[in-house]
Amino acid sequence: MGSWFDYTINGLIIGNIYALLAVGLALIFGVSHLINFAQGSIYTVGAYIGWTCVTYLHTPLPVTMLIVLAGCALLGIAIERIGLRPLAGAARIAPLLATIGIGLVLDQVLQLIFTPDPRALPDPLPGWRIPVGGGTIGAMDLLIAAIGLVSGAVLFVFLRYTKLGWAVRATALDRDAARQMGVDTDAVNRTVFAIAGALGGLSGLMVGMYYNHIDTAMSFQATLKGVVAQVIGGMGSVPGAILGSLLLGLIESWGVALFGSSYRNLFAFALLLLILVLRPNGLFASSRQAPPEPLTGTFIAPSRAIRVPPWVVVACALGAAALPLVPNIPYALQTLTNGWLYAILALSLTLVAGTVGQISLGHAGFLAIGAYASALLALDLNVPVVVAVPVAGVITAILGTALIFPAFRLRGHYVSIATLGVGEIVGLVILNWESLTRGPIGVTGIPPLPLDSVEGAYWISLGLLVGLALLQVRLVGSHLGRAFRAIRDDDVAARAYGISLNRYKGLAFAVGGFAAGISGAVTAHLYSYINYETFTSQISILALTMVILGGLGNIPGAIVGAVALIGLPELFRATAEWRMLIYGITLLLLIRFRPQGLLGTV
Amino acid sequence: MMTLSRRKLLAASVVALPIAARAAEPILAGVSGPLTGPNAQYGAQWKRGFDLALTEINGAGGVNGRPIAYVFEDSQSDPRQSVAIAQKFVSDSRIIIELGDFSSPASMAASPIYQRAKLTQFGFTNSHPDFTKGGDYMWSNSPSQADEQPRLAAFAVQRLGVQRPGVLHLNTDWGRTSKDVFVKAAAGLGAQVVGTEGYLPTDQDFRPALVRLRDAKPDGLILLSYYADAALIARQVQDLGLKQVIVASTSIYSPKFLELAGPAANGVFCMASFFPSEPRPEVQRFVAAYRAKYQQDPDTFSAIAYDTMILFAALARQYGATRAGIHEGLLHIKDVPSVIYGKVTFDPVTRRAQAASYRFLTVRDNAFVIWDGVKPTRPAL
Amino acid sequence: MTELLRLRGVQRRFGGVVAVNGVDLVFREGELLSVIGPNGAGKTTLFNLITGIDVPDAGRIEFDGTDITRAAPERIAALGLARTFQHGRVFANMSVRDNVLVGAHTRLDLVRHAPRWIGPLTELLLALVQPPGVVRQQAALEAELREILALFGERLLPRLDDPAFSLSYANRRRVEIARALALRPRLLLLDEPTAGMNETETAEMLDIIRQLKARGMSILLIEHKLDLVMRLSDRVVVMDDGVKIAEGPPAAVRNDPRVVEAYLGHRAVGEVVG
Repeated sequence: MGSWFDYTINGLIIGNIYALLAVGLALIFGVSHLINFAQGSIYTVGAYIGWTCVTYLHTPLPVTMLIVLAGCALLGIAIERIGLRPLAGAARIAPLLATIGIGLVLDQVLQLIFTPDPRALPDPLPGWRIPVGGGTIGAMDLLIAAIGLVSGAVLFVFLRYTKLGWAVRATALDRDAARQMGVDTDAVNRTVFAIAGALGGLSGLMVGMYYNHIDTAMSFQATLKGVVAQVIGGMGSVPGAILGSLLLGLIESWGVALFGSSYRNLFAFALLLLILVLRPNGLFASSRQAPPEPLTGTFIAPSRAIRVPPWVVVACALGAAALPLVPNIPYALQTLTNGWLYAILALSLTLVAGTVGQISLGHAGFLAIGAYASALLALDLNVPVVVAVPVAGVITAILGTALIFPAFRLRGHYVSIATLGVGEIVGLVILNWESLTRGPIGVTGIPPLPLDSVEGAYWISLGLLVGLALLQVRLVGSHLGRAFRAIRDDDVAARAYGISLNRYKGLAFAVGGFAAGISGAVTAHLYSYINYETFTSQISILALTMVILGGLGNIPGAIVGAVALIGLPELFRATAEWRMLIYGITLLLLIRFRPQGLLGTV
Repeated sequence: MMTLSRRKLLAASVVALPIAARAAEPILAGVSGPLTGPNAQYGAQWKRGFDLALTEINGAGGVNGRPIAYVFEDSQSDPRQSVAIAQKFVSDSRIIIELGDFSSPASMAASPIYQRAKLTQFGFTNSHPDFTKGGDYMWSNSPSQADEQPRLAAFAVQRLGVQRPGVLHLNTDWGRTSKDVFVKAAAGLGAQVVGTEGYLPTDQDFRPALVRLRDAKPDGLILLSYYADAALIARQVQDLGLKQVIVASTSIYSPKFLELAGPAANGVFCMASFFPSEPRPEVQRFVAAYRAKYQQDPDTFSAIAYDTMILFAALARQYGATRAGIHEGLLHIKDVPSVIYGKVTFDPVTRRAQAASYRFLTVRDNAFVIWDGVKPTRPAL
Repeated sequence: MTELLRLRGVQRRFGGVVAVNGVDLVFREGELLSVIGPNGAGKTTLFNLITGIDVPDAGRIEFDGTDITRAAPERIAALGLARTFQHGRVFANMSVRDNVLVGAHTRLDLVRHAPRWIGPLTELLLALVQPPGVVRQQAALEAELREILALFGERLLPRLDDPAFSLSYANRRRVEIARALALRPRLLLLDEPTAGMNETETAEMLDIIRQLKARGMSILLIEHKLDLVMRLSDRVVVMDDGVKIAEGPPAAVRNDPRVVEAYLGHRAVGEVVG
């Protein structure tokens, strides 16, 4: 049983590391009810500032830490002031998306400056190690633990005994009341973002030194684990963040002990979903929450949609259908085929996120289910492709809805976190269920579509897009569309008028799942090879950007958004290294200046 | 800083060199690979290898008076983009060969397009066993796992004396295939694989996995990893106080491994299909030129990119700068000088380069050295 | 008159605070019953318990003989209970028309007659196919919604397609009532329908409620404007600190010393005594 002690120590060590991240997230959430998806990027910036100090300035560790703290505090303030303050009056979804965009931009800037190669970040501490159980801990472990405790203590004193700290707590409890009592909520926001930024940056430095490894792709995982730890401990609770992180570390470690390393993240996300479903307020939330306040604001940006005259739609559809008759444009056709397939995904997401208001951050999971279902049906059961694709759509509808079902009782950002978790879980299950999916090796030799040519793929995808779009128009114009939008706008009032949330959210996800599953299935037959990395979370974010660009809930908008975000980067291929940066900036500008999208929300 | 010189290189390699006569149209290769995204570091290494090769080739007059150049399109190693890029390359009649993509999913998704258009798809880093089965236009000079892993097993089991290996491997198509072949080979040599742990490329904490392996009582740890994760593992092996010998595949061979692992790298064994200190003249020339140009040592990725460009020039020179010529050339060309292989020839059935030779290395005083044949001392179990 | 709603010993606690403490109530069809009391008396909590948004810790609630103590709000709505909310909750991004049509959701045949397990599927198919029955009912509802909106004169009809967020506060509250009427409720619960309205608007609302009453609508009303209460109600129930302290016709309740004391002596200063 000695090893269990080692697993426990290991779990606590890694939990310690997660805690540094989670505390910053907790502070920001507590005060502004915002999940700062850019926190992981601040973490990375901190690591690189540290690297620069160590490599070029040769500063001793305490000085490096101070520089990182100060620099990232400033970054935090800048993010709040430039990125988020202008959105104060906007729809509540805006800050959520803005932090995603900010994170993207920060990561890309770092990559352009420092190149993507990982770098070493040595620590200057003495090399002694203390044996603990079967392993050892070193000076860095102790330092990280010390920093965790000291930050926790300092925060505690700050929040409880200083005037500004009281202002922060008051704002966290009730922003409007605090403002009316004379609290300068702007100062509070600044303070909180500065502290969170400083902690995030410091944790990047510490972890970079701990592993002697920093790279520009660290952010996403950092944010993800930080969010999971937060949810476990209770969103907005600083002690909860620390305890939740330790628990997360332990569960991961024990999970590996029991089942092996490839199940590690699966455990983390399964735990996330379990908590969200059973105790959404977290394990360590102190008081029993009162029933949620009625949503007095709108979640999406209110607007009047631009009406696209039917003749324009028909003309575009005919033009698109006729395009392959133009000779020698296979590149354009391929790009547009890609665009049609993404448009189907965008249709699905605009239904779920736009019409029903469930901002799903894991929609790529549907693509994966559809792709694998169709590929395996065709390969293992010799089902003809023409049959496999729609059947895959149905399988995705059923399976996808079943997976998200436990999250139906959640609201607002909790839905986003839950769907993010489900998306990750789908990928991890595909990776680990080798007897079915061939695991990491992937599925090769997937039979092609019945019309095996560039034009054929184009027409099939376009045809499916038009068909599914028409169905969706019909759906949204019916009583179901009204029920969906009622849920989005005010789910309490919706229930009061007979609209059962489970039933209609389930329907929406099923319809959306069907469409996305078909898109994934067609993709699989087009590519002839898929594996668990073919449909990543980056696709989920891309789909969300498309939907916002077009206008949440707007069907023609979803198609326009998809084609734009697939087509334009192809036009700008020359600026390859800047592409992701431009894309991140586009997202931010969109949210700031036209949150209702090009064609308006519906 | 770095950014500017990179952009300059890109620009220089895309367009016809203004120095050369305008009449000499460049011979173009299309490169599909990651310039941004999670695998961007490998794309950067490719470019270093390509550019070094081009400097030499074009400096010596190019191919029949024409310079060689490449167009690098950023696919982010994403199948959706590699497919669009494939269409683009296929429609550009100047491009007579495609190089890349980095990951197998990205390459294999695009294979049908290249095959239909009869443009050779040269996936020089694609070791997935099914890549070349995509069609007779799919070729690779990447040592296949079927080739490398049995050698690694022989090295570990027979020469280093590891009888109970514990394996850590990347849970990707590459890592998984490697593990399967290794385990089979090791068992065939009489060793008992006591455990295998697959991990994701994003994992940084390996301690629980190492404890799990430790409990199975291995006498050696086999790493089927890339250099970044191998470095993390090596450090954590020390933190846990494990004394088992570490033996790794060729993929960890890179100066970056030493930089990231620090003192924990000492005592690690690995194979390399390429080693800078090797006395072979083509290796020495390559290493010297690389050091002069980039002030750092080359690694396997840059070496294989360099080789690929040299191969391309040889094919164009001997068989004609056309798509059909390149394809014909691969079927028949023999003994192309190669940093990795010495001389490379392709097997027309598997469409892969025939057997690479490997060197056995260990790390001493924070540098890779050729292993002197002394068996490591193993702790009593 | 038949008994429509019966509450027996209904109780609800929030932590240490008892919001509703053992309330009994009988409500008969066709009545207009007002629930009044100082702020924090538990009136809205009571409404929430009746309509299923909240669940009592103890006690029993029956609607037309059916036990709805733990029923979900959707089910209670389907039984014919409609409510408006204290701060006015319309569907902000939907048009006036759509808001009112949602009110009729429980009356749609394709919702009411949906079979057990595959109900959502049939609903989906019918919505996509739109057979004549569905189209007919939709047309009938469109006509009906115009009738309902006509109750409010020219206030809402010209704004049929405007999104609710663009309406004035008073108009939004009117839309809320229209939505409730679209449900064709057997019992209408109005939670402070005139809160935040000026005198003219309040008078208009008074008139509308009176019209509804005249048509035989059963209404349960929470109101603070006591003159309104006295003029409209058949019976008044007074709550204070979660307990029913008085019940009876308006005249009797107004002079009840316990009621006077509750308003005058209550810590929540600022109450206007009729």
